[in-house]
Amino acid sequence: MGVHEIKPGDVLLAVEDISLSFGAVRAISDVSFDIRKGEVRAIIGPNGAGKTSMLNCINGFYHPQQGTITYKGQKRSAMKPYEAAAQGIARTFQNVALFKGMSTLDNIMTGRNLKMKSNLLTSMIWWGKAEKEELEHRRFVEDIIDFLEIEAIRKTPVGRLPYGLQKRVELGRALAAEPELLLLDEPMAGMNLEEKEDMCRFILDVNDEFGTTICLIEHDMGVVMDISDRVMVLDYGGKIGDGVPEEVRTNQNVIDAYLGGGH
Amino acid sequence: MFYREAGQFKSSYKEDQAVFPILQDRIGIAILLLVAFIGIPLFAGDYFVGAIMTPFLILALAAVGLNILTGYAGQISLGTGAFMAVGAFSAYKLATFSIALGGAEATLPLILTILLAGVVAALVGVMFGIPSLRIKGFYLAVATLAAQFFIEWLLVKVGWFTNYSPSGVITAPPLVVLGYEFHTPAEKYLFTLTFVVVMAMAAKNLVRSHIGRGWMAIRDMDIAAEIIGFRPLQTKLTAFAVSSFFCGVAGALWAFVHLGTVEPEAFGINRSFSILFMVIIGGMGSILGAFIGAAFITLLPIFLNNVPPMIGWNIGVDMVAHLEFMIFGVLIIFFLIVEPHGLARLWTIGKEKLRTWPFPY
Amino acid sequence: MEDFVIEFMFFLEVLFSGLLTGTLYSLVALGFVLIFKASGVFNFAQGAMMLFAALSLVGFQEMLGVHWTVAFLLTVVVMILLAWCVEKFVLGKLVNQEPIILFMATIGITFFLDGFGQTLWGSDIKPLDIGLPTGSLDFGGIFVDQLELVAGATAGGLVLGLAIFFNKTKIGRALRAVADDHQAAMSVGISLRNIWIIVWSVAGLVGLVAGIMWGSKLGVQFSLSLLALKALPVLMLGGFTSIPGAIIGGLIIGAGEKLAEIYLGPFVGGAIENWFAYMLAMVFLLFRPQGLFGEKIIERV
Repeated sequence: MGVHEIKPGDVLLAVEDISLSFGAVRAISDVSFDIRKGEVRAIIGPNGAGKTSMLNCINGFYHPQQGTITYKGQKRSAMKPYEAAAQGIARTFQNVALFKGMSTLDNIMTGRNLKMKSNLLTSMIWWGKAEKEELEHRRFVEDIIDFLEIEAIRKTPVGRLPYGLQKRVELGRALAAEPELLLLDEPMAGMNLEEKEDMCRFILDVNDEFGTTICLIEHDMGVVMDISDRVMVLDYGGKIGDGVPEEVRTNQNVIDAYLGGGH
Repeated sequence: MFYREAGQFKSSYKEDQAVFPILQDRIGIAILLLVAFIGIPLFAGDYFVGAIMTPFLILALAAVGLNILTGYAGQISLGTGAFMAVGAFSAYKLATFSIALGGAEATLPLILTILLAGVVAALVGVMFGIPSLRIKGFYLAVATLAAQFFIEWLLVKVGWFTNYSPSGVITAPPLVVLGYEFHTPAEKYLFTLTFVVVMAMAAKNLVRSHIGRGWMAIRDMDIAAEIIGFRPLQTKLTAFAVSSFFCGVAGALWAFVHLGTVEPEAFGINRSFSILFMVIIGGMGSILGAFIGAAFITLLPIFLNNVPPMIGWNIGVDMVAHLEFMIFGVLIIFFLIVEPHGLARLWTIGKEKLRTWPFPY
Repeated sequence: MEDFVIEFMFFLEVLFSGLLTGTLYSLVALGFVLIFKASGVFNFAQGAMMLFAALSLVGFQEMLGVHWTVAFLLTVVVMILLAWCVEKFVLGKLVNQEPIILFMATIGITFFLDGFGQTLWGSDIKPLDIGLPTGSLDFGGIFVDQLELVAGATAGGLVLGLAIFFNKTKIGRALRAVADDHQAAMSVGISLRNIWIIVWSVAGLVGLVAGIMWGSKLGVQFSLSLLALKALPVLMLGGFTSIPGAIIGGLIIGAGEKLAEIYLGPFVGGAIENWFAYMLAMVFLLFRPQGLFGEKIIERV
């Protein structure tokens, strides 16, 4: 690819002057920020601040009208979500987007799809190549299942699982892709305290053990401040603060947006 | 002998991923295959083998095809009949083309002819599947009707497809494989059975592979599927291709093995619907379901035609047809209400109950 | 020059006849749109409902020997009863199921109604005559079928009536609320069941009117049910939720089909009206997936 090796601490993804609008509605206006390799980066902000839209731009689901996104040193043109996935960007969703008709195991196995190569014919025959490949990836997925402590629900259709577990399975599916950049859209929304703590632990473990760069969105400031290396704050589609948690916590604009902005 | 899995421990992922992980299931399927391959041809009468079992198997194959597209990949199709027709007429063209080339020596082998006919159907399926990227859900269902009507019209209007047969009817060549002619109903049945068993296994393997998971992912949530890396068009087109391949082979078998002579009308919109019903009643997203559904839909008219006279109730032929319509309608609704996943799901639930029987859990 | 004028007159005649046939398609499509708008159900049974209504109307006329107006009223009662049954025995049991399941259930309804109607009233072709004018009118050399004119006017009237019903009445407002968001509508106290019964009744009524028009034209027979299939490309063109779309889509399909049959048909062996509409709609959809009047959806995750 001709891309130089990106070391921890280097910029993995840079967003410059991005604007996105739907008709007359401006979702994001002129936002720039970057994500460094190996960090936990948070984007926070009130409802409707443009957080999810930002993630959608990063993984190619929305195409911003203005601005550039540079990933691994390469400026990206408008790309499809599956192309972003192929480059190592995985994500979870605000409203769990699991495949309801499939089991936990199968859901996580879908995360391996980009690494599975057997074609129509070898898959039909199964014996030999396809089976070997399937078992190899099954082993990897079982490690993720162990890691997330969801062994007991392996064969359960995800539609029957409680919300907290669904979120965990979704994280598993994203991890199965061995992403370089993991986008988490409100990973703790709708969870109780215990579940939130579990999720925090998983996020930090993923970051620690696999060195995965994480960009997460949260509505609730509390948890985010504890686990993030750097935090960006959006409000009404614009950036109003960016920096390490302490900086952001004392930023007057941020305090206004959260407390005094009349929301 | 109880239906239990107690004491059967799986010590590898391979065993865990087997199609029939439980011993009793494996015994059951072995018995079923023995009966199908040896019992039926030996002991059943010609009528049962030729007029019930063979068409049942072929329609089940078409239902497997549609199930791949609708049940697994979530793309509704009302054009199954058309893809069967493509298979039937391509097989005919392929078979007669080689004869025209020069003598019996040069004919394409029969098996290859039928498989190639499936490939032609797959290509046509892909063509009509291309709109599926932009056209979704019901719009797509309507678009597949375009395939149904257009292909039917084409086969009737363009003489080339029937080698300019004045009646529009094609006659299949004799079924000869490696010099052996399949002639009696039992032989034809075995020929069909072999095809269907091999292809059903292939289908089962496919839906449990990463390709099958891609179809289900697109079905369950297409946006999420795309974001985790499945290419929507490629995934859908593969489903269209594989589905049409199965339907095409079924169509070729229908023309060559079951009917012998066939006209395009045999693959009309009603054929499409009846196969859709097999999928719904048998169970969407289940290979086994396609077989159960096909058995049900094949047997019901026979039942309706024979049972009322037996109990001394004589009703007219057109009345039977109307009754059939009504009963199909009611059954479809009934199954959708009781169990949208069809008889196959009821079968699975039954087995789960049986595992712990006589205890509740 | 003479030839050209005659050609042009003939073209106009074909076009006009196509447009008027198109209004008949629109009538069927209208029933689809009503139900889809209010309940999100893609009602495959609209054609079967039309056939059933027409069969009942003729059946009542024959059986009771009454004036058609009486038979009409009886049929309206039957259609309301049918709507009630559909809600009670089918839709009511399938609340919260996916749209594809509901769609397939309506295929079940189609088969049931086709079988039931013919069991009840027989399957012979029956003439339907309620005194609609027949024969052609001469407009300065262009001949126009009177029945088609009446059909066009009726379709126009129905659309106007439905527009008023939807926009000016309380029930209409409730219908629109339900179409927007089922749960929100229920939470402000709108009864989903009643709305569904009403909307299926109205669709039944539209089906009855369409059935009368088509029945007068072709006789009441099983193929009327298949005509509904022709309304599907109309829907694709017009969008599933747009009443004006159903009308304009019908006109485009009607005119396009007639013109293609006359000017294109001879070159390809004729009988292209079976598929032309579908192909036209499909090609059109490739460029505008939401139909003429459908709303563009912003996808979210």
